[in-house]
Amino acid sequence: MKNNNSMNAVFTAVVSVCIALLTAFIVGTISMVLIKGIPSFATSIQIKEIQFAIKLSLYTSVVSTLLCIILSLPIAYGMARLSFPGQKLVNSILEIPMALPPIVAGVALLILFGNSCFGNFLSGIGLDFVFTINGIILAQFFVNVPYMLRVLKTTIENIDPRLEFVARTLGCNKVQSFFKVTLPLAKNGLVAGIIITWARAIGEFGAALMLAGATRMRTETLPISLFLNMSTGDLELAMASATILIIISLVSLFVFQYFGGGTEHSRTGI
Amino acid sequence: MLKMEKVYKQLGDFQLKNLSLEINNGEYFVILGPTGTGKTVVLETIAGMYYPEQGRILFKDHNLLSLYPEHREIGFVYQDYALFPHLTVKENIVFGAKIKKIPVNEIQSKLEQMIQLLGIEQLLNRYPSTLSGGEQQRTALARALIVSPKILLLDEPLSALDPRSKEKFQQELKKIHQTLKTTTVHVTHDFNEAMYLADRIGVMYDGKLIQVGTPEEIFYRPQTDFVAKFVGIENIFEGHVNEDEVSLAEGVSLLASARSKGKVKVVVRPEEVVVSKDLIDGKFQNKFEGKVLDVINHGVIYKLIIDIGVPLICSLNSQAVHEMSISVGDNLWVGFKSSSVHLIEKCAV
Repeated sequence: MKNNNSMNAVFTAVVSVCIALLTAFIVGTISMVLIKGIPSFATSIQIKEIQFAIKLSLYTSVVSTLLCIILSLPIAYGMARLSFPGQKLVNSILEIPMALPPIVAGVALLILFGNSCFGNFLSGIGLDFVFTINGIILAQFFVNVPYMLRVLKTTIENIDPRLEFVARTLGCNKVQSFFKVTLPLAKNGLVAGIIITWARAIGEFGAALMLAGATRMRTETLPISLFLNMSTGDLELAMASATILIIISLVSLFVFQYFGGGTEHSRTGI
Repeated sequence: MLKMEKVYKQLGDFQLKNLSLEINNGEYFVILGPTGTGKTVVLETIAGMYYPEQGRILFKDHNLLSLYPEHREIGFVYQDYALFPHLTVKENIVFGAKIKKIPVNEIQSKLEQMIQLLGIEQLLNRYPSTLSGGEQQRTALARALIVSPKILLLDEPLSALDPRSKEKFQQELKKIHQTLKTTTVHVTHDFNEAMYLADRIGVMYDGKLIQVGTPEEIFYRPQTDFVAKFVGIENIFEGHVNEDEVSLAEGVSLLASARSKGKVKVVVRPEEVVVSKDLIDGKFQNKFEGKVLDVINHGVIYKLIIDIGVPLICSLNSQAVHEMSISVGDNLWVGFKSSSVHLIEKCAV
């Protein structure tokens, strides 16, 4: 009995210490950047290079997130609702970019959109992706689309398909039942998907570096700015970029946790 | 007329096995059967959720299978009502009318008709998650009825209600059907519900329709062992027909009108057996003396198990049991008419 009590106490102590240590480690690491970045934040943010990086990051991340939504909604719906041969394989393929190191994804994109038949064809019709802003958007899209897909697919799977069917019996065609029933019920999941995709897009570095390069005031997003300024020893600017990225991550995390990645009403409320 | 012709549908391990059924216009048809027997699949196939591999579904001679669900003019109420949780009760109800682009003033008058029919005025601005089972039920029914469906499909609509609400809603369903005369297919596993509501009942088991008939036919003349058990008949015996007599065991023969000879199942409804302390008079062709094996109290009704050579179950009201002071071990006389003996000559299922 006494032995059991002491075992329980030791177990609780070990669990508590683990929680405390990891929490302290994360807070400590982030604080180090914030301590260095916050004092000079107000002045750094007025520097043109940082302003350019913020604007470019916002622009590319918003466009790539929009592309993720437009493509993920029908695909997630199809993967959640349809049944077809090879579905598991297709699902695994769609998730590959999530498992791939971003830098490898960047190399793969560079080969496809660079000096290949396909890349040359796109270039011929005015779509250049190598060392351009388009390249940043493409890299962000490729790396992040599986995250949006996964959140939306799980969300739609949790919506009772009979609700759509009832809507059909009430006169909706498939498109109407999707927009009038499924999409409103997937609202929270969609918002969570947008937040996570956008936050990842704004922080995307590896794939964008490979495809779009790291050129000051041209393809300089916040992570690239951090990389360039660290390389040249300009710590003040590097910390300003890092601080902005940390703030974006923290806000995104809280918003994501609030919306929870689920459905507003996954069942009929009974 | 709604007509299903040899409809075959495979869903995983389950099959609807060449189901044929005819439902008259304006009829209230109840599909009765135990859980997992395919009742909901029948409704979902009529409504268009599933497309059968074989067979046809016709309504007024139009092939429903060539139509999408939205063109079949069907109202569907699920067991858990499947209300749209993001819409208020009012928005739920007018959903179909808006989709069908019914003029606003007509929607308003239809809504008022539904409010009157179902008494849901106070619920209109509430969300489904705040409603009780009965309130959700009314909302789902109003949502289905507002578009004036040609066929109303009800999937165990009363199963989630408490007994009192259930009884009340049964009466309301009957009243609504009498008012609107919509052809209705209602599935349930509750025989009493079916008896009360149905013009005709179809008993289903394992993807097949076993017997179709009026409630009285199903209740008094079950065609199979399964139907007899499902409608609550407890006295089912193996028997052998010899001339006008059916032998149940050595020394136990009943008078019954049999059409053929050989093995049969013999069905006697417990409530048609008369019990007495003394020898019963001549109007009962079947009379036996037996010992009481058990007295089971079901509140108002008591069940007696009396050994007459086979264990015969009789239903008696509590007053009769107390007046006769019946207890286990007593010797009693039982009697029933030959018309109360029903023979199942084909022992299927």
